[in-house]
Amino acid sequence: MFIKMAILVFIGLCAGGIIAAGIFAFLAIIGVFPRIIGKSGMKKHILLYETLIILGGSLGNALDLFEFPIWMGGVWTLAVFGGAVGIFVGCLAMSLAETLKTLPVMNRRIHLAVGIQYVILAIGVGKLAGALVYFSRGMGN
Amino acid sequence: MTDKTAYLKINQISEVHEKSVFLKDVGEIYCDDRPTLNRLKALKIKTIHQEKNKRYVENVLDVIQKIHEMDSSIQVNNLGEVDFIIDYQKPKAPRLAWAWAKTVFVCLMCFCGAAFAIMTFNNDASVSDVFQELYRLILGPEAENYMVLELSYSVGLAVGVILFFNHFCAWKLNTDPTPLEVEMRLYEDNISKTLIQNKGRKEPGIDVH
Repeated sequence: MFIKMAILVFIGLCAGGIIAAGIFAFLAIIGVFPRIIGKSGMKKHILLYETLIILGGSLGNALDLFEFPIWMGGVWTLAVFGGAVGIFVGCLAMSLAETLKTLPVMNRRIHLAVGIQYVILAIGVGKLAGALVYFSRGMGN
Repeated sequence: MTDKTAYLKINQISEVHEKSVFLKDVGEIYCDDRPTLNRLKALKIKTIHQEKNKRYVENVLDVIQKIHEMDSSIQVNNLGEVDFIIDYQKPKAPRLAWAWAKTVFVCLMCFCGAAFAIMTFNNDASVSDVFQELYRLILGPEAENYMVLELSYSVGLAVGVILFFNHFCAWKLNTDPTPLEVEMRLYEDNISKTLIQNKGRKEPGIDVH
């Protein structure tokens, strides 16, 4: 029994370590955090941000797996969390599109010359519309 | 009059807060003749007229021309950048409250974003189902309600992130810069490079050929 437990612990540790490296390497490489940090101009706190990412990752994972309740703030905590997550996912989606060079490729294909800012706006509005439709129609269920 | 050689090392991007930009603001200079060195350091290479924050893309040829206008016997050797950026930022009092508000905002986003990312991954990859599968594999078919995999996975995850980011709070594992610092540097380099290349490009149609 002890050996079996030891094997399980070993597997868990290895899986956690590798997955953490993978997920967070992805987040760092995709360029969400550098963008946000660059935009805010608060580069000197970079270690603080990384600490927060570490804490967020570890706590979020623990919450997800163990589902222990945190009695904190109720709906307001959720509102703040949702807002921050929304901004984050928006940045992530656009970072991904940018890393894959979606817009530059489209521009070259159809010779788009003017009004890039409206294209960007259209993407943002489209994402908002998509999210609203998704949640209001309950497409997730 | 003997020839004097001056060595220039211009930085790719330099931030200035004054409207008069001197040579010493944008890079390093070396000249073995001390009076010439001092005159070079105090040479004004640009006067900014506009009142707003802006980035100006400059060329080292103009700098060399200015140096020769001052003293044509100086031989200039440029060891640094050919095109460089002067980033003019209006002098302003630091607004601490606003700065901290931004930092808190970024912290919040980093924290929630990281938490959300790992939750969506766990969901996407059905980590819990895989764990159940592993329990059955190793402990036998009757295995129920164990927490050991979840616990060790969580610990491993924390260790992995700390290893990846190379530090926790102020405690660093080694002296390498952290991945975010590396990414920030790359991002800034790309911004500078893009500014310089945009400036150097005369043909607007070259994009779509």
